Amino acid sequence: MVSGHDEFESPVDLPRDEPRRKPLGWTTLTIFVTSLFLLVSNAFAIKGWIDEQPTSPLQASLAYWAGEWEDATASLGLATPRAELHRLWKEAEAARFEQAPPSNQR
Amino acid sequence: MLFPTLTFGLFFLAVYALVWTVGARNNEWRKILLLVASWVFYGAWDWRFVALLIASAFINWSLGQLIAHAKARSEEGEPAGQAKALVTLGVVANLTILGFFKYFDFFLSEIAPLVTNLGFARDLPLLQIVLPVGVSFFTFQGMSYMIDVYRGRTRPASLLDITLLMSFFPHLVAGPIVRASHLVPQFQRSPKMDRGMAAMALLLIIWGLFKKAVIASELSTQFVDPVFFDPSAYGSADLVFAAYGYAVQIYCDFSAYSDMAIGLAALLGYRFPRNFDQPYRAASLQDFWRRWHMSLSGWLRDYLYIGLGGNRGGLFFICRNLVITMVLGGIWHGAKWTFLIWGGLHGLILTAERVWRELKPSWMPAMPRPIAVLLTFHIVVLGWIFFRAETFDGAIAFIKGITAWHGAATIVTPLGVALVLLGLSMHFGPPRLMQGLAMRLRFVPAPLLGLMTGSAILIIDAMRFEGVAPFIYYQF
Repeated sequence: MVSGHDEFESPVDLPRDEPRRKPLGWTTLTIFVTSLFLLVSNAFAIKGWIDEQPTSPLQASLAYWAGEWEDATASLGLATPRAELHRLWKEAEAARFEQAPPSNQR
Repeated sequence: MLFPTLTFGLFFLAVYALVWTVGARNNEWRKILLLVASWVFYGAWDWRFVALLIASAFINWSLGQLIAHAKARSEEGEPAGQAKALVTLGVVANLTILGFFKYFDFFLSEIAPLVTNLGFARDLPLLQIVLPVGVSFFTFQGMSYMIDVYRGRTRPASLLDITLLMSFFPHLVAGPIVRASHLVPQFQRSPKMDRGMAAMALLLIIWGLFKKAVIASELSTQFVDPVFFDPSAYGSADLVFAAYGYAVQIYCDFSAYSDMAIGLAALLGYRFPRNFDQPYRAASLQDFWRRWHMSLSGWLRDYLYIGLGGNRGGLFFICRNLVITMVLGGIWHGAKWTFLIWGGLHGLILTAERVWRELKPSWMPAMPRPIAVLLTFHIVVLGWIFFRAETFDGAIAFIKGITAWHGAATIVTPLGVALVLLGLSMHFGPPRLMQGLAMRLRFVPAPLLGLMTGSAILIIDAMRFEGVAPFIYYQF
C-alpha cells in the first residue's frame, strides 16, 4: 500500500477559522503596500543597490533617477526615520562597558 | 542570489506575480514557471551547475521509474532482487556525485603524504573542485525519493515533479530537506493559500530577516569571526563569549534561512516541514536532535540509522549505529576533520545517554530539567567550537584558551551581550508564539498589514550590518 503522502507539521498550518474572502487578493495587497512603503521610505537602499550593479548605460540612467528619488524623498522627510534608526543603532554598536577600552585601542 | 537582498526581493515579486497569474490557469504551467525560476535562481551562482541539478534529477527520476517497474514485476512472480540492485545503484550514483564534488580533493590531500612516503607518487592531481551550492541537500532529496519508491512509501512521480522537487528555489541551497512524500502530492494539485498561511509566511520572512541580518551578521562580524581567526590573541572571557556568540549565530543564521524558505514557499502556496523547534531548550542531546535541523535528523534516522539496524540487536548495536550515523552526519557537512569530530562527539554523548537510560538504577532520581538543559547546551557549545574552527588544532587552542582562564573581556559590548541573550531567550518563550500572532494578523486589513510589514523591514534594514554575508549552510 503506497500512501504517497506523509503527514507532517508545518509552521504555516493554522486553524481554519478565518476570513474566507479573497486570501490571494489580501496577500497581494499586503505585499504591494509593503513594497510601496519601502519605495518611499528606503530610497537610500534602492540607490545603494543600483550603484552596486554592473556599469551600463541603463545602470547609469537608473542610478541618476534613483539619486533624484532619494533626494526627493529626503526633502520630504521620508528618509528621516531610517536615518535616525541607523544612527541609534550605530551608537548602540559603539557603546562599551565602562572598563573596556575603545575598540581602536585594542 | 541571497534571500536578504533587494535582488532576491525583486526576483521573488516577479515569480509571485507570474505564478498566481499565468500559472493560475494551468498547474503544469505553474510548475514549469517555478522550475525555470529555480534554475535562474541557481544559475545566479554558476550556470554550469544547473546542468548538474538537471542530471541529478533525471538520474533519480529514471531509477525511480525502473525501481517501480521492477517491484511490479516481482509482485507478478518474477525473481525479486532487481529493485534492490537498482536502488543500490541509485545510492551509489548519488554518493558518487556528492563524493566527487565534496570529498575528492580532501581525500587526495589526506592520502598524498601516505602515498608519497610509500614512494608511489609525488603530486596527486588535486582538481580544485568548486563545490556546487546545495549539493548535499539536493542529492539527499533525490536519494530519499528513490529509496521511498523502493520501500513503497511514495509513488513514482513525473519527471517534471521530481525535477521541481529537487530544484524548488526556496529550499534548494540550504533546506529544509523536503521529501517527495511531502511535496510531490502538493505539486500534483493547484496550491491553495489562506490568510493564516500568508500571515504566518510574512511573519517567518520578517523574523528570519531579523535573525540573519541583525543578530547573526552582527555577532559574526564583530565578535565570532575575529576570535575564531586567532584565538591566541584573546583572553578566556572573550573566548567564552565568542563560543556562546557562535551558538547564537549559527542558530539565528540557519533557522533564519529555514524560516524564510518556509515563508517564501507558503506565499507560493506550498507547505514545508518545520526545521527548528527551540533547540537550546533541549534537556538531552537526543532531545536536541529532535529540535535542530529536524529535516536532516529525520533523514539520517529514516535512511541511515534504520538502514544500519536502528534499535534492533541489543545495546551494543544501537550504540554502534548511533555513532556511525552521527559521524556520517558530521561528514555530510563537509570534508574536514573538525566536522568528523563534531559528529563523533555527538554520537558518543548520544551513546552515553542511551547507556545511562538503560543502566540507570531505578531509585536514582532524574536530573532536574534546568540542570539538564544547561548541561546539554554546554555540550552543544563544545561541539560548535569544533564545528566552527578551521582546524582541529585551532579548536584545541580555543578550548585551551578558555580553560587557562586568563585575560579580561576586551571585545564584549553591551550590544553583543544583548544580542546573545536575545538569541538564547528565543528558546524559552512560548513554543507557538508566532502562530498565535499570525492568527491575529490574518484579521488585520491588508493596507495596515502592509504598513506594518514595511515598517518592520525598514527597522531591520536600519540595523543590519553593511552587506550580507552568505548563510553558513550555503557551504554544505
